[in-house]
This record gives sequence, structure tokens and C-alpha cells, in this order.
Amino acid sequence: MDVSSASVLAAALAIGLAAIGPGIGQGNASGSAVEGIARQPEAEGKIRGTLLLTLAFMESLTIYGLVIALVLLFANPFR
Amino acid sequence: MEETPQASVDAIAESPMEEEQKSSGSMDEYYALQRELIVTTLVLMGIIFPAVWFFYDLNVALNYLAGAFTGVIYLRLLGKNVEKLGQGANSVGKSQIAVFVGVMIIASQLKQLSILPIFLGFLTYKATLIIYTLRILLVPDRSANS
Repeated sequence: MDVSSASVLAAALAIGLAAIGPGIGQGNASGSAVEGIARQPEAEGKIRGTLLLTLAFMESLTIYGLVIALVLLFANPFR
Repeated sequence: MEETPQASVDAIAESPMEEEQKSSGSMDEYYALQRELIVTTLVLMGIIFPAVWFFYDLNVALNYLAGAFTGVIYLRLLGKNVEKLGQGANSVGKSQIAVFVGVMIIASQLKQLSILPIFLGFLTYKATLIIYTLRILLVPDRSANS
């Protein structure tokens, strides 16, 4: 396997694996937040604020994988 | 004393309006949070940009600035997507990621731009989140009052 093929495979694995955990986490968090808003509409702002922070923290994990994938595809130091 | 049927009907009729008012009042808190996060990110940018210019050079500092602005746009789009969640949208949109991907691809294609300062600039929003979380943890009274 040459370096180009290995890089494409590694990029696919990086973004794919990096998206699994945060994806599950974001789904759970969003579902629970919507449920919480339905139960307590008066706390909507607080719940959405907490959701914003947690989603931003979780999404950064996907972004790390994304950066690795983009570097491998467009600015590969080993090619 | 027992509640009359008419009184309970009035209470039921009033409750959705009250709930809506409470909810809109509560959403002000969310908008304030969004504003605070963006302002804090801009302040951090204002501090870090001259520091990078001083310790490295103007080109690196401008790269940092591009990444930091991408972070601000990302935060704004994420805020809008979270706001829409449950009000028509069934999931959090991915438009904010698309902005970041676009900037990173442009950075990898243009010789004037470099990936690392842009990525580190983008992470300024994360510093904002950590500062906000620490402030909430260390000064709990202010968050309870707001």
C-alpha cells in the first residue's frame, strides 16, 4: 500500500471514528434537553444554555478528528 | 375550600400563556449567554492577536485572526442551531462544521495561509467556554442570581 492510499484510508478512519462518540453524546444530550424543556418550559433558557456549552465541548472532539483527516488529505507531510 | 369547575377551566386557559411568557423570559438568559460567549471570544482575540504579532510576525497573527473569526462564526451558528432545536428542527445542524471545513481547505490550498495558526485561532472559542465554565464554578452566586 502506497502512502497516498494509506493517507486516504487513515483520513476516513480518523473522521469516522472521531464522529461516533460525540455523535452518540450529542444525540443523548439533545434528546434529554428537549425532554427537559417540555417538562419545564420556564427553564428553557438555562437548559438551552447548558446544551450549547455541552454541544460545543463535544463537537470539538469531532473537529480534532476532522483536522487530522484534512491534514492527511490536503497537507500530508509524508507525501 | 374546593375549586369551582369555572376556576379550574380559567386556570387551564391561562397556563399556556403564562408558560409562554416564562419561556420567553427564560430565553433572554440564553441570548445573554450567547452574547457573553461571543464578546469574551472577541476580547480574547483582542488580547492574543497583538501577542502573536509581537512574538511571531504579522502573517501568523493574521492567520490566527482568520481562525478566531471562524470560531466566532462557528459559535454563532451553533447557538442558532441550538435555539432552533425542538422548534421545527429535529437535530442540531452541521452548518457550523461546514464553515470550519471550508476555511481549513482554503488554508491548505493557499500558500499565504497556514493550518496550525488558523486551527489554534479557531480554538479560541474553546478557551472562552473553559473561562465561562470556570467562572460559573468559582462564582456560583452570580449564575444563581442571573
